[in-house]
Amino acid sequence: MSTVGNSTNIFWQESPVGKLERQKLLHQKSCVVWITGLSGSGKSTLACSLSRELFTRGNLSYVLDGDNLRHGLNQDLGFKADDRTENIRRVGEVAKLFADAGLICIASLISPYRKDRDSCRAMLPDANFIEVFMNMPLTLCEERDPKGLYKLARAGKIKGFTGIDDPYEPPLNCEIEIKQKAGVCPTPGAMAGEVVTYLEEKGYLQHQ
Amino acid sequence: MVVLKSVRPAISCSSFGFDGDQLVPLHKVSFVNLTLPASLLSVRLSSRNNAKLSLVQATKESSTASTNDSAAVFSGENLHQIATNGKATNIVWHKSSVGKVHRQEVLQQKGCVIWITGLSGSGKSTLACALCQALYSRGKLAYILDGDNVRHGLNRDLSFKAEDRAENIRRIGEVAKLFADAGIICIASVLSPYRKDRYACRSLLPEGDFIEVFMNVPLQICEVRDPKGLYKLARAGKINGFTGIDDPYEPPLNCELELPQKGNNCASPCEMAEIVISYLEEKGYLQA
Repeated sequence: MSTVGNSTNIFWQESPVGKLERQKLLHQKSCVVWITGLSGSGKSTLACSLSRELFTRGNLSYVLDGDNLRHGLNQDLGFKADDRTENIRRVGEVAKLFADAGLICIASLISPYRKDRDSCRAMLPDANFIEVFMNMPLTLCEERDPKGLYKLARAGKIKGFTGIDDPYEPPLNCEIEIKQKAGVCPTPGAMAGEVVTYLEEKGYLQHQ
Repeated sequence: MVVLKSVRPAISCSSFGFDGDQLVPLHKVSFVNLTLPASLLSVRLSSRNNAKLSLVQATKESSTASTNDSAAVFSGENLHQIATNGKATNIVWHKSSVGKVHRQEVLQQKGCVIWITGLSGSGKSTLACALCQALYSRGKLAYILDGDNVRHGLNRDLSFKAEDRAENIRRIGEVAKLFADAGIICIASVLSPYRKDRYACRSLLPEGDFIEVFMNVPLQICEVRDPKGLYKLARAGKINGFTGIDDPYEPPLNCELELPQKGNNCASPCEMAEIVISYLEEKGYLQA
């Protein structure tokens, strides 16, 4: 019996079917692929194409998109600093559950603060946290402005928008960095390919 | 059965404004190209994901959006909207190209939530484990969201006060919904004493995908079992607001399954798990 956080008198319930059994069923090793970057840097695009690429290889993944989660689990949170922290914490905990379930969980969210991303990394044992940094210049993201948010932010209609009046802290030691090559962005397929190659090399896509 | 080979990119066809309080939804529609044999006498359209389908004749491609009757409409899972949602504004629903249907095909099962509710000591976790084992032995992917376990992680910031219990259930419901969407049979084993909170979770899922299992074991039996020694502590006044002692348990009025079944109070966890499995089989959850 233990107390964790505010939860008193709780026990840990063991189950006979564990992560190893589920990984065996799915013929893969689970992990969390955490895609971070500015708005418009291509996170959701990569998440979708990666998920598709994995599917064609017979691997089961699930995308946790920051915006989508803010429609459900995180609908009670705004964009103030402590709400962002709580948003990331919850996504990290859910990603951990999905990894425990045997899936390759693809989390796609700005997650601008280094401390919060590092906390999520710490939640996952055995280095199964793969940080992918969409290192695209602000100018490019702003030019794309896929949701019209930079325009609103520049007009002062959104406050605390990452990249404009709220900081983005780039990773110092991410596993994969996606950036332009000679000023050209890789295609969604090429980006997904890079992540798949990494996953293959590290043994996630073959049952061990 | 015609298998969809290609989906053309979505075309947006609405206007929107940002200045007002309400943001107008921006609907995206997609075109699906079906090649039908000339000899085909009739076509029946069906979709498993609540998408709306209309069959129209092929029309020439256009780069501009068209709203006349020649435009085929395929909406539903591909809705794309900019919305104000609670406290977060300017969030967009992103379409994911690998959907629930694909995942279910791979897993050969349908995602759903089995919500096991009942007093402490009524056998929720025991049933959850037996059920998980039984499903695994049938090659099905299940995952247990145990109330206590989730309180070690996602819900570590919540206490047992009424409002925190409600938030605990809400979050578990939302996560269970994600698991069901992933195609997994999600077994939520949570005391969940308040009817309102369980009902709110039911509302998150499509009809039929929320399967409420009530462990209807009398308080006296639960207290005799007292697997975690909590009833003893509660009776000694060392825990306040303990369900069944000094906090209410509101039994379900319309659950899908009640265990143990009437006249079979000695059913083992495995026998009870088989009852749930039969239900799942009957309702088609153990196949794609």
